[in-house]
Amino acid sequence: MATASVLTPIKSRRDGIFSTRLAGGRMPLTPSPKTPRTQLMQEVGPTESIHNGNLMARFSRSVSKTNVRDSPKSNIASRPARDSPRRLDQTISEFALTGTGPRPSTATSAKNTPSRARNARSGSVARTPKRSQSNINYKAADRFIPNRTASDGITSSGAAVKLDNEQTPGRRPKSSASEGTATLAASVSVFDMGRPQTSSSDLTSTLSLEGLNLNDNNEDEDYDGAKNKPSPNTTAYQQSVAEACGVSIKQRILAFKPAPPESSRPIDLRSQYNRPLKPASASASQFRRRVLTAPERVLDAPGLVDDYYLNLLDWSSGNQVAIGLERSVYVWSAESGTVSSLLECPTDTYIASVKWSGDGAYVAAGLGSGEVQIWDVEEGTKLRSMYGHDTRVSVMGWNKHLLSTGARSGVVFNHDVRIAQHKTAELHSHTSEVCGLEWRSDGAQLATGGNDNLVTIWDARHTAAPKFQKTNHRAAIKALAWCPWQTNLLATGGGSHDRNIHFWNTTSGARVNSIDTGSQVTSLRWSLAYKELVSSSGFPDNSLSIWSYPTLVKNIEIPAHESRVLHSALSPDGQMLATAAADESLKFWKIFERKPGQANLMAGGVASVGGKESLTKATTIR
Amino acid sequence: MPPATESEIHKLQIKGSAKLVTEFFNYGLNTILYQRGVYPPEDFSAVKKYGLTMMTSLDDQVKAYLKKITSQLQKWLLKSKISKLVVVITSKETGEHVERWQFDVNIFNNNSPVPKSSSGATSAATDKENSDPTAAAAEKSDAEIQSDIQSLFRQITASVTFLPVLDGNCTFNVLVYADADSEVPLEWGDSDAKEVKNAEKVMLRSFSTNSHRIDTVVSYRLAE
Repeated sequence: MATASVLTPIKSRRDGIFSTRLAGGRMPLTPSPKTPRTQLMQEVGPTESIHNGNLMARFSRSVSKTNVRDSPKSNIASRPARDSPRRLDQTISEFALTGTGPRPSTATSAKNTPSRARNARSGSVARTPKRSQSNINYKAADRFIPNRTASDGITSSGAAVKLDNEQTPGRRPKSSASEGTATLAASVSVFDMGRPQTSSSDLTSTLSLEGLNLNDNNEDEDYDGAKNKPSPNTTAYQQSVAEACGVSIKQRILAFKPAPPESSRPIDLRSQYNRPLKPASASASQFRRRVLTAPERVLDAPGLVDDYYLNLLDWSSGNQVAIGLERSVYVWSAESGTVSSLLECPTDTYIASVKWSGDGAYVAAGLGSGEVQIWDVEEGTKLRSMYGHDTRVSVMGWNKHLLSTGARSGVVFNHDVRIAQHKTAELHSHTSEVCGLEWRSDGAQLATGGNDNLVTIWDARHTAAPKFQKTNHRAAIKALAWCPWQTNLLATGGGSHDRNIHFWNTTSGARVNSIDTGSQVTSLRWSLAYKELVSSSGFPDNSLSIWSYPTLVKNIEIPAHESRVLHSALSPDGQMLATAAADESLKFWKIFERKPGQANLMAGGVASVGGKESLTKATTIR
Repeated sequence: MPPATESEIHKLQIKGSAKLVTEFFNYGLNTILYQRGVYPPEDFSAVKKYGLTMMTSLDDQVKAYLKKITSQLQKWLLKSKISKLVVVITSKETGEHVERWQFDVNIFNNNSPVPKSSSGATSAATDKENSDPTAAAAEKSDAEIQSDIQSLFRQITASVTFLPVLDGNCTFNVLVYADADSEVPLEWGDSDAKEVKNAEKVMLRSFSTNSHRIDTVVSYRLAE
């Protein structure tokens, strides 16, 4: 029967059901009349929204207010106190004397653009005795003889620069805006003494004799209107001093002070050099086992809501598949191939999520209204309704008697389904719709993913605050899967603007690996038998990809559906994957087919997987 | 004084060139952090740039940190205030500087003095004499610049073959050599040169735009 026309695998004994197929509406979960293998790419507009973090904003803000000292006045205020006493201590060298000359004009002081640099620099002044008082004079003159001619101004400004350099050999000879600051400041200190036109000798009465002499000298020059430039010796001298000190005279070394972010772990460079640059790009030639690329079965899923955020497919440990189609939940028994409609919700809402309990006896259904219903599948009766959410419940997860429900509001509730006051915890982390939620098999940790691009890992014992919050994804995270053979390994897949699968160590919170898949990751399932995982893709690939772990080599990519694959579920024996896609079909793929006698990877057996019987059962779906 | 139009052209050149050089620094920083194992390799993703596969950090904190640095660099470059950018890799255990990547920024001011308003004509002239032997460099096409940068990055990547293996427990600092009159944001403070003791220096390739030339030197600690 399974020939090329496996695409419509009509088995004879199902004919009775099919007779209705062509007459109008399609029956849910009947073999699909469509040819499923066409590779037509159908553009699916990504429905999730992307929230880009606005990280940079605060940095730019902090930078913008950095230029503190813009006003020359602030320098005026602060400088005299710092500079003038030091100057008074200085002895005057001959060089200083030669350097003194013309008086600066107002042109110089007008250009003052003070900077912090000057203040820092003053430290070096102290250890350089080759200073003169003269610059103070000039500043004073500078300030108070405003009507100088332009030519005077030019020469004198040059002179002022030289003087400045003399007092701080660490500085460059070029005159620059900040030098004016010093002169201005000095002049102020002079005026404080009430002697505007005279020199710094007036500054304090404790000034040395030499100082006085010098100042006299300067004054003389001033009054002569001398326009001498600084002697070439001065320049040569200051350069030689700068060289001797190993200081560049025109620069300061600035360090970016904030400490760089800590590395998440020590790095062994040797292993890094051996690391392939693009591990994910390895070709299919490396794949080591044969993977069946044709679907085992194709069923119709009419009315399957094309919404990335919903979780409408689940496969129970009792080998039954539940699927939510618009307002109804259908249960398809893999053993018998029979379909039954389990429930139908009110017309004003729809099924947003479906989840089997661990023992396969109950189905929880989350509704668009925020209601959560629990149904006994054997009896076909509703056991209870749980309220609390006011937005749609788009994802759920069972941990024994505990049902966790994630809603569009971003809140996750834990419900103890056995008791009347069912809500036992509220988990607040996400600020946008929770669309991925997965309990670890031992129930110790819960991973949730949201439309806020956040993966949150919770400790089951401390639900008040998240254990880790991971911001690496750049799109909503719906696909979450715990590794069956390494309990603290979590795989998460991001939406269409992210396209990455990240692997996390949930004990340390570290990211241990990443794959760029190239398309929206809609679900992730680990194989139970192979060290592999399968990811289903939305736009643009609509495919299933099987990745080896930890090599991250893509074993195979199966073009699975005509439009994006929305949901997937693994059979209880781990061999078969069911996928539901926006093309309204449900397909079964035997991608993890096991060789006879091969055991599952994890030793003790995981609670969600049944014993041997279920294995044999699951291998035969009808 | 040059006519206004001329200085306008110069300004535009500086702007484009500063952007290009800033971008180069961004990739350079990322490459060094990746190649020298300052951050784990899985925190980096490959992007195509300069015709090469460049690794850039995915970590939000690192990205933000580098962004802060490079955005300030660009401001300084626009005003031609910095002459060197230095990345110092420091051992976390000993606090010693183990490696120092120095990028010298030479600014061409061929048609007009760099707009430092208060500088006297004489001092600018002597300065030019000292620092600008290559001012007459011919205009370069974009493709040439890109290919120069490409070969520089190839060299940086290749340099891991002769650089000592770092122990993987390192952090880094960024220094700039700025003019004494630069405007300095609060995050930046004076520092020593953080030279590597007992260092060996290797000069790498340089590249130039129409307004900047970047020379690269890596110094590293010699094995005892």
